Amino acid sequence: MEVLSSIGFKDVNVAERFDPFRGTSKEGTARKYGVTGVNVFARKP
Amino acid sequence: MAIACPLDLDTRKLRDEIQSIYSQVARGPSGDFHFHRGPAYAASLLGYDAALLATLPEESTASFAGVANPHRMGPVPEGAVVVDIGCGAGMDLLLAARSVGPRGRAIGIDMTEAMAEKARGAARAAGFDNVEVRLGDAMSLPLEAASADVVISNGVLNLTPDKSVAYGEVFRVLRPGGRFLYGDIVVASELSEKARRDVELWTG
Repeated sequence: MEVLSSIGFKDVNVAERFDPFRGTSKEGTARKYGVTGVNVFARKP
Repeated sequence: MAIACPLDLDTRKLRDEIQSIYSQVARGPSGDFHFHRGPAYAASLLGYDAALLATLPEESTASFAGVANPHRMGPVPEGAVVVDIGCGAGMDLLLAARSVGPRGRAIGIDMTEAMAEKARGAARAAGFDNVEVRLGDAMSLPLEAASADVVISNGVLNLTPDKSVAYGEVFRVLRPGGRFLYGDIVVASELSEKARRDVELWTG
């Protein structure tokens, strides 16, 4: 998120989170590192 | 969250691996992969409208491998120019094309020829003549500056070796006031050095 702001984007925010690795062979790795899917919003001023 | 890959990670190998895996997904989406694909996954875990997805060509939905749902952040307005970075077989691209309507344009960018060809075929099958698919890379978008009203992407920018370059490209192609609506994965904790050098994890 910080990278988006540093480039010049405004109103940067995570709008929603998802669990895309649920039920996959990588679910354990995702849980270990706290990996989630996110919707991100940003606006160019 | 780790932003850039290690300086000595072989980014050419990373790019080749990404193209190899997603070419396999394009040609055989029901194969054995460590991530979900398809419309049932999109509806059950990401909140896509199953009935709407059922109206799209199966070739565009079967290979879907996104990780979130940019369309839930509001509709892409009618008449807009929307760009989908890493459009894959075109599921999100066709949903955007439907939103912008015949006065708008939906431009898909994908670095994998097999995916780009599937997206073109799906657009033809669905009767969308406002869709264009270009071969290209998120690190150097084949688009004019300030040419897009909305940029979407889903599960792609996490695959780029330097996020600041990829985000900078999005900023370049957006018009002032344009919106960047994207789905991606984030990690809650800093990855170990071993994990950051694992190409398989980068491509998942």
